[in-house]
Amino acid sequence: MTSDAAITIRDAHKTFKGGVQALRGVSMTVNRGQIFGLLGPNGAGKSTLVKILMTVIHPTLIDGDLLGKPVGHRATLRRVGYLPEHHRFPVYLTAEQLLHYYGGLEGMRRPERRARIGELLDLTGMSAWARKKVGGFSKGMQQRVGLAQALLHDPELILLDEPTDGVDPVGRREIRQLLLHLQSQGRTILVNSHILAELEPICQQVAILVKGKLAREGTVAELTADRQRWEVEIDGPEPTWIDTLKGVDCRTEGTHHCLSIGGDAAPMVQQMIDLARGEGRTVRRVERIGESLEDLFIRSLEESGEADAATPGAASAGKAGK
Amino acid sequence: MTAVLSILHESWLSLRAQGLFKLTMGLNLLVIVAFASIGFTDTGVSMFFGLSHADSEHVNANSPWAKLLYLGIFSAIIVNVWLAWIATGLALLSTSSIFPNFVSQGAVELTLSRPISRTKIFLSKYCGGLLFVVMQVSVFTTGAFLAAGWRVGAWDPAIFLAIPLITLFYSYLFCINVFVGIWTRSTLTALIVTLVFWFSAFSLRTAENLVTRFVYSTEIQMQRDDERIGELMHQIETAHGPAITTFETRLDEQQKSLEANRTAHEKLEAWQGPLQVARWLVPETSGTINLLKRSLEHDASATFEDLMSGELFRESPRRNRNADFEADAKVSDRENARPVWWVLGKSLGFEAVVLAAAIWLFRRKDF
Repeated sequence: MTSDAAITIRDAHKTFKGGVQALRGVSMTVNRGQIFGLLGPNGAGKSTLVKILMTVIHPTLIDGDLLGKPVGHRATLRRVGYLPEHHRFPVYLTAEQLLHYYGGLEGMRRPERRARIGELLDLTGMSAWARKKVGGFSKGMQQRVGLAQALLHDPELILLDEPTDGVDPVGRREIRQLLLHLQSQGRTILVNSHILAELEPICQQVAILVKGKLAREGTVAELTADRQRWEVEIDGPEPTWIDTLKGVDCRTEGTHHCLSIGGDAAPMVQQMIDLARGEGRTVRRVERIGESLEDLFIRSLEESGEADAATPGAASAGKAGK
Repeated sequence: MTAVLSILHESWLSLRAQGLFKLTMGLNLLVIVAFASIGFTDTGVSMFFGLSHADSEHVNANSPWAKLLYLGIFSAIIVNVWLAWIATGLALLSTSSIFPNFVSQGAVELTLSRPISRTKIFLSKYCGGLLFVVMQVSVFTTGAFLAAGWRVGAWDPAIFLAIPLITLFYSYLFCINVFVGIWTRSTLTALIVTLVFWFSAFSLRTAENLVTRFVYSTEIQMQRDDERIGELMHQIETAHGPAITTFETRLDEQQKSLEANRTAHEKLEAWQGPLQVARWLVPETSGTINLLKRSLEHDASATFEDLMSGELFRESPRRNRNADFEADAKVSDRENARPVWWVLGKSLGFEAVVLAAAIWLFRRKDF
């Protein structure tokens, strides 16, 4: 029986030598088939968490599962693809040799690798550079090859740490489309990124880490619901009926007035429109405004009382230094 | 197995991409060509394919010592100087960066996140590093084998022992290099520490041999003093008149010499013990390489040193040599008599301990 969760983490702690606390009791769940965004400022512990899942870093304490097996179960890594942040490939290898190398590490046989490499170089738009040395590639090209190596062994779960780092806008859009394509194949994707606007349209679920703690977790809609509001812009003097409507704010913008009400208040909006029209006013704009992921992110930092959370460096229990 | 082969193949591609690997290979071929250029004529030895010639009544095409000279040049000079020092130094320069680069941020994650244990990754990468020496020595040894067969008809497969022996010798140094490389992630630190260790091991062996030589030398001198004292006492007993005084003066001098040698012997012995213990702890770098020479000379009636020193053709017996010369020979005999298990066993034991420490570090380290 397979669980619905691709990743389950309960109470993950990591304290580095020197007392730097990178993770302070993080718990979260990534459901299968989702694109999950892991957000947080520099030093929040995002990469540390991903590295723990990939056994690159040993946790101080963790209780969790990866594809139904305990975190650290090495054979399970064959079902996981990973693209680390700031990765450095052996510069003397060609793209093709590089993929053969990493495919070999995954235990893939040569004929299998050969077929898959051609397919992935096509998918990432790198076919023309298959026989060129990686050392001569731009950052964006290296990122594409990096994605190819993460997908080489046909993984069920893909962990991507800043996948669009150094990629131009066209490339970023292609990567977003690729992620959606991979999701449509039933794969689970965890994306760790600073570029919130990129994650917003593709992530079903996000988690925000701040100084090693989980500040928020949920769907973008859930997390931004309490900050949604309606705005109705009308002509003419300030309406006299405004005081009769509970929770409506009014601000003057030149010759117009902007009426604003928070939450899911569609009936109230209808009432405002009716009242305005009844007075012969022109309704210029009716808009439902949601909180952006970036707003949510900034709000999470402020609410967690971590005014300096956006500065580099993880939380420190004592003397800092990894 | 596929993963291990992939790491080894990647190591090979990494070596092939290095200029230093190609340079060392080129120099290897040059040395082999120079070795092959040595030949023997009816009247002596020719060099540089006949461009230069040295007459010798003892070593020529008809002499049984030509083979000893040719194989001796290979094992005592080419292997001991070129492979054991120069080529090893180049190999260290070339391979010191393997582990620091491998464990650098951004590179190590791509390997450690695979379904292969860290121990297996480490050992595969370690063997990959040794490929440099295996490849170089294999080419070199094949060339030497062909040259020896062509020049003196010595189609001796024992020459190929150079491949495992030089690789073993290099691995004693490489394990230190790898341990420091993983610990500090610094190529320069790994290289410097390895060089310091190499020279320390060499110096320790040299110091122990030197002290032992002096111990042997004082023992021989004490023995000779004893014999001389006995002779003088006999002469005093049988002498008459003023000759007795002369013999007594000589006896007194001889006894003083015996006392001085005894004091020196005691002091040297006090040093010899700790040096022998310290030597037990470090690998036998020179001893391992010397196994090749021992193997090539195992059924020869004389050694390359005897040939080069002219001892082979000297009529005077060994016991008439001075004490230092005899002590040198005794030290050399002691080194050659060391069992193979002692030379390789303690060296491999040392390597196993260092590798175990490096693996432990590699397994528990966060990257």
